[in-house]
Amino acid sequence: MKPLIVERVVKQYADKTAVNGISLEVDRGEIYGLLGANGAGKTTTMRMVLGLIFPDEGRILYNGKPYTKQQLRDIGYLPEERGLYPKVKVSEQLVYLARLKGMSAADADKSLKTWLERFGVPEYYDKRVEELSKGNQQKIQFIATIIHRPKLMILDEAFSGLDPVNVELLKSTVKELRDQGASILFSTHRMEHVEELCRNITILHRSNEVLKGSLKEIKNRFPKERVMLAADGEVSGLEELPGVLGVKRHEHAYELRIADEASGRAVLRHAMQQSDVTRFEIMEPTLNEIFIKTVGEKHE
Amino acid sequence: MNEFWTVTGFTFRNKVKGKAFLITTLILVLILSLAINLPYIISLFKSGGSDSPKTIGYASMQSDLAQSSVTPTLVGDWVKEYFDSQPAGQRKLKLEKIDGGANAASAEAALKKALTDGKISGYMLLEPSKETGFYSALFKSEKMLDNSAVDELKTALQIVKANAAGLTAEQKTLLYAPVDVKALQISTDGTAEDAGRTASQQGVNMGMVYAVLFLLFMSIMATGQVIASEVTTEKSSRIMEVLITSVSPLNSMFGKIFGMFLVGLLQIAIYVAAVLINIQIPTNREALGNLDIHLSDVSPDLLLFALLFYLTGYFLFATLYAAVGSLVSRTEDLGQAVMPLTFVSLAGFYLGIFNLANPDSMLVKVTSFIPFFSPYVMVLRVGVGHVATWEVLVSLGIMLVSIYVFGWLSAKIYRTGVLLYGKRPSIKELRKAMKAYKI
Repeated sequence: MKPLIVERVVKQYADKTAVNGISLEVDRGEIYGLLGANGAGKTTTMRMVLGLIFPDEGRILYNGKPYTKQQLRDIGYLPEERGLYPKVKVSEQLVYLARLKGMSAADADKSLKTWLERFGVPEYYDKRVEELSKGNQQKIQFIATIIHRPKLMILDEAFSGLDPVNVELLKSTVKELRDQGASILFSTHRMEHVEELCRNITILHRSNEVLKGSLKEIKNRFPKERVMLAADGEVSGLEELPGVLGVKRHEHAYELRIADEASGRAVLRHAMQQSDVTRFEIMEPTLNEIFIKTVGEKHE
Repeated sequence: MNEFWTVTGFTFRNKVKGKAFLITTLILVLILSLAINLPYIISLFKSGGSDSPKTIGYASMQSDLAQSSVTPTLVGDWVKEYFDSQPAGQRKLKLEKIDGGANAASAEAALKKALTDGKISGYMLLEPSKETGFYSALFKSEKMLDNSAVDELKTALQIVKANAAGLTAEQKTLLYAPVDVKALQISTDGTAEDAGRTASQQGVNMGMVYAVLFLLFMSIMATGQVIASEVTTEKSSRIMEVLITSVSPLNSMFGKIFGMFLVGLLQIAIYVAAVLINIQIPTNREALGNLDIHLSDVSPDLLLFALLFYLTGYFLFATLYAAVGSLVSRTEDLGQAVMPLTFVSLAGFYLGIFNLANPDSMLVKVTSFIPFFSPYVMVLRVGVGHVATWEVLVSLGIMLVSIYVFGWLSAKIYRTGVLLYGKRPSIKELRKAMKAYKI
């Protein structure tokens, strides 16, 4: 039985439909990407999963069972906008939050110390949150989400506001939790994180699902239209080749947009006539491109 | 239930540990102590900063010795005797006989000299008065003496005048015994069996009612504001989103209200302790006793009902403050949002205070059954008016029902409000949201 199944949920706010028939399933040890432009219905979906609001239609099952209060204890939620008590000590408020999730105070304290150690900030135990930098508050918020060892995690923009080192730190932690069997519903605007972490994704646009499935499948569904070309010398006349739609000149390479994969061959041939080719690659579409294509097109 | 106590404990600890709590409590304790010690402190200043009575001089003149009638020297002796017969603690003046030589002129010179030497702080001259047939006194001193010294002298002379008239001791006692007039408040509706309240009991009860009304008003204002701003802060800092996924809104709201209630209770306990300790100081007990204030005069049912109405009043207002706090997204908007609640509380307080003198008016009777007002007004009626026990119980019952109704409503508003961000929602928007969230 999958830990989280969302079945065709619909949510209506007065005259506006916020979520229109979304379905998704998150397996044990899986990170599921929920993508969408601002206002696409991600937060509403997450709130329904959290049991804060109830769907008008459809249903949400946790391990095959409908929502009960008890499930709240197994859920960890990292809200998009970070929230902690600014004037309360880190140790006090995290132990408080963990106790609300049903942990004993001693257990919570131990768990907190372990995590602070892991993140290399044990000295924050006695600090007040307002004394910490934004990035470090983020770490604390992340610990608040996972301190009670939830089986289902809902992470809304987990890595925003962090420097690259800390992004890596949290990313590896998320992966580790995944490998320990946690199910994670993950939302972000950073497509490279999704590509790295998620097995399956749903892209929402104006309350509707517009793309759904495994990341691999989705990528295969989109034609490969990009060529990276690097050569020792100048390569001229690329623009005139048939099937080439555009050329971008980077510092050490050319990036070409082509009509179809077959046109790539002509490009390679043309380049080899002029110089030694050091790199030639027909690129997979990035999730970024796919996202902009599916969501952006429909904007018009 | 566990969650409830966790929230309560967290709220309580954080508030009590805060600097604000410590400082406000300390300041109020200081003010209270000062207020109680004030009568004593004033009495210290009244006697010129020292307990010893002032020394007033009068002269003995040789010209008087020869006469057998009532001479100035003799009157001076009588006055001296009068003050000497007073108990040492209450004695305000002391007379000092100065040898004045042959006649009035040399006497004044001698008195002046004694004054310059610092032996006396003033002196009294007596001259025959044609109008009264007795002496009129002239009191001379370098510094202005307070009026009480002059009054004391006046009383003393008044009394020694009787000596001059040749009255017997019995006649004097009869003449100066104070006439006793006592006022007793009785009830005529037959509900109260007690023999009525004396004026001083009435006064103490009135003071007590005043104190309870003030305490209730202050607690509701201060604690209500804190509860509302705590909720708004949690909402604006977005920790609310984490909280409501951990704890049911009902537990979170009532846990907070109860936690703040305990904080308030602790504060009040500290104040009461400060008051009691200060009253126990012997000097204060004496000073209050002189003002005819005895704590044992507070009627026990006033204390009981004051406590009950305090509790119900607090919880009724607190739930509403929490609900209002949940509707506001930014702390800056909070003041405006809680204004209506503050006005209602203020109205109840004024109804109580302005009707201290006429606790049996129709307005008071009606409003003592209206929730929001009844915690103030019913306490007034119990304390200084006439009220049947069933009336108090009915009013209390209405309060309990209102707490249930408004608590339920507030919980619903709270549950909806904490998820609504942006501008303060109108009632219509709120109802729509409630429907949408299926709360």
